[in-house]
Amino acid sequence: MGTSTRGGSLAPGGVVGDGRYRLLAQFGIDERAGAHLWRARDGQLRRDVALTMLVGDPADAEAARLGRRTLERAAHAAKFNHPGVARVLDVLSLGNGISSSEGLLGIVVAEWTKGTDLIDLVAERPVEPGTAARMVQALAESVELAHQSGLVLGLDHPQRLRLTPDGRLRLAFPGPLPDATLRDDVKALGAVLYLLLTGRWALPGGPPAVPAAPRSPTGRVVPARSLEPRVPQELSALAVRTIEDGGHGGIRTSAAILRVLDEAAEAAERTQYIAKDPNVDPDGGVWTTKKPVKDAARRRKLALGVTVLVVAAVGILAWLGMMAISFFQDDPESSGPPVNLADPTPTQQQNPPNQQPQNPPAPQPGANGEPVAPNEVTVYNPEGEGDSVEDAGLAIDGDPATVWRTDEYRQQFPTFKAGVGLVATFDSPLQLAKVKVTADSPGTDVEIRIADDADPALDDTRVVGSGTLEGTDTEIQLQEPTSARYVIVWITSLSGEAPRFASELGELTFLPAG
Amino acid sequence: MYIPRERGMPPGVRWPAADPDVLRPYDELATRMMPRIVDGLRHTEIGERLPAVQLERPKEEEQAKAPSLARASGRMAIATLTSRITGFAWKVMLAWVATLGVLYDSFTVANTLPLIINELLLGGVLTSVVVPLLVRSQDDKDGGEAYTQRLLTMAVTILGIGTVVSVALAPWLTSLLMDDTGDANPQLATWFAYLLLPGLLFYGLFAVLSAVLNAKQIFGPAQWAPVINNLVIFATIAAFALVPGDPTIIPTQMSDPKVLVLGVGVLTAMVAQALFLLPALRRSGFRFRWRWGIDERLKEFGGLALWILGYVAVSQIGMVVNTRVLTAGAAGGASIYSNAWLLFQLPYGVIGVSLLTALMPKMSRAAADNDFRRLIGDLSYGSRLTTLMLLPVSAVMAVAGTSIGVALFALGKGSVEDAERLGQALAVSAFGLLPYALVMLQMRVFYAMKDSRTPTLIMVVMTAVKIPLLYLASAVLHPVNVVLGVMMVNSLVFVVGAVLGQVWLWVKLGNLRSKRVLGVILFTVVASGLGALAAVVVGWLVPDALGPVLGAWVKLILQGVVGIGVSFGVLIALKVDELTPVTRRITRMVRRA
Repeated sequence: MGTSTRGGSLAPGGVVGDGRYRLLAQFGIDERAGAHLWRARDGQLRRDVALTMLVGDPADAEAARLGRRTLERAAHAAKFNHPGVARVLDVLSLGNGISSSEGLLGIVVAEWTKGTDLIDLVAERPVEPGTAARMVQALAESVELAHQSGLVLGLDHPQRLRLTPDGRLRLAFPGPLPDATLRDDVKALGAVLYLLLTGRWALPGGPPAVPAAPRSPTGRVVPARSLEPRVPQELSALAVRTIEDGGHGGIRTSAAILRVLDEAAEAAERTQYIAKDPNVDPDGGVWTTKKPVKDAARRRKLALGVTVLVVAAVGILAWLGMMAISFFQDDPESSGPPVNLADPTPTQQQNPPNQQPQNPPAPQPGANGEPVAPNEVTVYNPEGEGDSVEDAGLAIDGDPATVWRTDEYRQQFPTFKAGVGLVATFDSPLQLAKVKVTADSPGTDVEIRIADDADPALDDTRVVGSGTLEGTDTEIQLQEPTSARYVIVWITSLSGEAPRFASELGELTFLPAG
Repeated sequence: MYIPRERGMPPGVRWPAADPDVLRPYDELATRMMPRIVDGLRHTEIGERLPAVQLERPKEEEQAKAPSLARASGRMAIATLTSRITGFAWKVMLAWVATLGVLYDSFTVANTLPLIINELLLGGVLTSVVVPLLVRSQDDKDGGEAYTQRLLTMAVTILGIGTVVSVALAPWLTSLLMDDTGDANPQLATWFAYLLLPGLLFYGLFAVLSAVLNAKQIFGPAQWAPVINNLVIFATIAAFALVPGDPTIIPTQMSDPKVLVLGVGVLTAMVAQALFLLPALRRSGFRFRWRWGIDERLKEFGGLALWILGYVAVSQIGMVVNTRVLTAGAAGGASIYSNAWLLFQLPYGVIGVSLLTALMPKMSRAAADNDFRRLIGDLSYGSRLTTLMLLPVSAVMAVAGTSIGVALFALGKGSVEDAERLGQALAVSAFGLLPYALVMLQMRVFYAMKDSRTPTLIMVVMTAVKIPLLYLASAVLHPVNVVLGVMMVNSLVFVVGAVLGQVWLWVKLGNLRSKRVLGVILFTVVASGLGALAAVVVGWLVPDALGPVLGAWVKLILQGVVGIGVSFGVLIALKVDELTPVTRRITRMVRRA
């Protein structure tokens, strides 16, 4: 039989069963029966199916008889329904879906089992004993149920089994060997458990991908525990006692296996639960010698240490960086006013060139007459409503303690606007020679401008004098006495420091010449 | 808990974010975690054992699917690129007409308000929980109609209430974000907030609707809608330049034409962006009906959503403090910062994201399969590639930062001084580009491992470091330089994040092959240093006589070409292994183009 396992026509993309099933991928070969295990797509119902294809020469009478026997047993199993066994959907035999030229003796079509290949599962490392027990448990249940109705499942080949996403083992490729017995199923359970625990297959006829279980000189299977020390005694013994045919203490029914598995799974979970405790309490004693636990705890501590170090280092770096920024950019004001390239704002066009504070020209002694009180004073702010409009009158009310204040600006003029000021209107033109400003806003730059009406554009006004306020009283002498009816006291630079700029004018006194 | 997604999804598509610049590593949960292929792909590994096995899927199916998917992702890339470019363009253009000053600051602050609130109300939950369920609901008997109606009802209600409440609280919100001790003008920002906050409704609606469309396999409209948004803003900026007035004069008025034009224009853009999706939604056969109630399935995700909400909340706290510190400084801080940040992100957006798109599916699959060896391999490879691509760029950025700023922003009414400050901010923070990209990569790995807790904790530490440093910056530095300090602090915080991410990944995964990454970083630092040096030398050669803007352009181009060229030349001369596939890839891309 072993020689007839190469089905030449079987390749992905090929079709079998009168073109109904398109082969997708091969999942293994059960060499003992020449059974090729494939995943295929059912073209009619558009679903995936698992095909167990018996490869052989239909002319060989003996092979054909054995094939028929397998198909019959599979057909019996179609009645059987359990989550641990893929449902048999169809059984194709020679003349019934299979032509004699295909090199096939028969096909068992079963529903497709989603999940993982059993061999993939154990390829890297064996499964945790508790998990393994739970996995086999599901399978043992279905064996128990099948045996009660006298069915042989034929799960004695690891590639016929798959692990479903919910962690149960399932017979994915049904189709028992012609001579398989109930005992074989029970032995297979032990072998599967052994495979999960050690990654080795303990029965004859396993796939080449899985190493065979080592045997002692007496020919007995080496206990799982001696290969994987962490396997608990009960499970190790269960596996070996199920596999061994020898008389003493052999386990022969799935019911017995189930009992032991239950206990083992619970015991394993209990141990895991205890083993987890040292994570919470590293000084817990007994278990702290366990390497992974200690390792993780140490890593975590180290990580915390690194965190603190990095945070500290970054703090220092940040401070140094800021020092560097301050050092290289120390004098932002000295870089001068913003230079506009393409389209200078109107603000700057209006701005007179004499932004720099000018010292008041030398006073012309004896040039002044009696102060003239203006008719009214309003806020002059050609670019908007103006600052403290209702307080403007306080600048000429004869009381230097009541003041007119500008708004508070966060940047010096002319950033927001060119300036702000007060316009004094006189009943008749006067020959203005000097303006006396009483204010407590040292550093404020003031220009005296004259205009032809009460609300002129800034460009239409003429600068006739300027000065910087110092102390409380500042006299601003005009370059020459000028006749004016509208006089503007225009603030071009505010008092105060960034970011709070504001000026206030307490009292304005207008002194005519002579 | 994680849902297998069987539908085809073009690789470039992200879950909808109304603003592409929001930091959202957790969208990985929605985009990459879901296609956990329970059944399939593993079987290809059998091929290694049994040579007879090849394909796992019939060929016709594959062929029928592949080209349309490729075409879709190609179109997607164009749409994304267009929306990013136009999005950046309008911000630059606004700087030309409005200058990087108080007005732009106020607008920036007001414009981030709907973003922040949307992110808090919907953003995190939407990307991490609702959207994956939306995809799953497509398999419901009614094709997900009931779920979608419930989702839309919920979203409209939450957004509606959020909009009304936030508009009512607008003055409080602006005072939360703005520190009025500095040059900032909270009044102006409040006027803008009144105009822009109603956009929250449309903004959030856009995100939800594009999620619905994506789940229905309609990708185009959601990708192009931001372009519409940007086009409307272009028109708005043109109108803004034409209308008279200066709203920065204190006291400001909401009725100032400039305020009205900008606010109403941007609001219109947000509305247009959301409405653009409606025809597509109708065409898909979906009809909206009010349907109240919460889908049972949402409850499965409780814990996950909470951690992501924590992440969002913490990052928004960082952002609020950031804005406060900026507005406490000199005028222009907020707008300079937001533009510098856009520029800072640009190289990552182009190079980093495309790398991630290629790597993430592999890493997610490895994480889902618990194959940590492969995961670590991919992570290390990703980190090394990111290093190689971004470090030379950040070296050039550090040298040519000022030129970049002047070249882009000193046009129109923009002043050279502000543009220089922007460039300097870019230059002092350029070193943070690599840590930033690494943080994004690491966080995605955490999320791919279904760990939403560690990213949140890392974010908490980053924010805890950031806030005191920000206040230190505002205390130590001159108000004008605060923005430089803030950008630098940002970059330093990413350094913290990158180290933390690496360390905690090591705690989880064991040896990360960091040595190799460090080796590549060292090599690249040397190469980039030489590149930077060459760029500096080239910079001296440019005569000052060219004028600031032209000179900046010449400098930028020269320094960029020389800096990058020298860096990669040195790297190639050093024979860095990782560079070979990249050079091959680039040559292939060039050839394809």
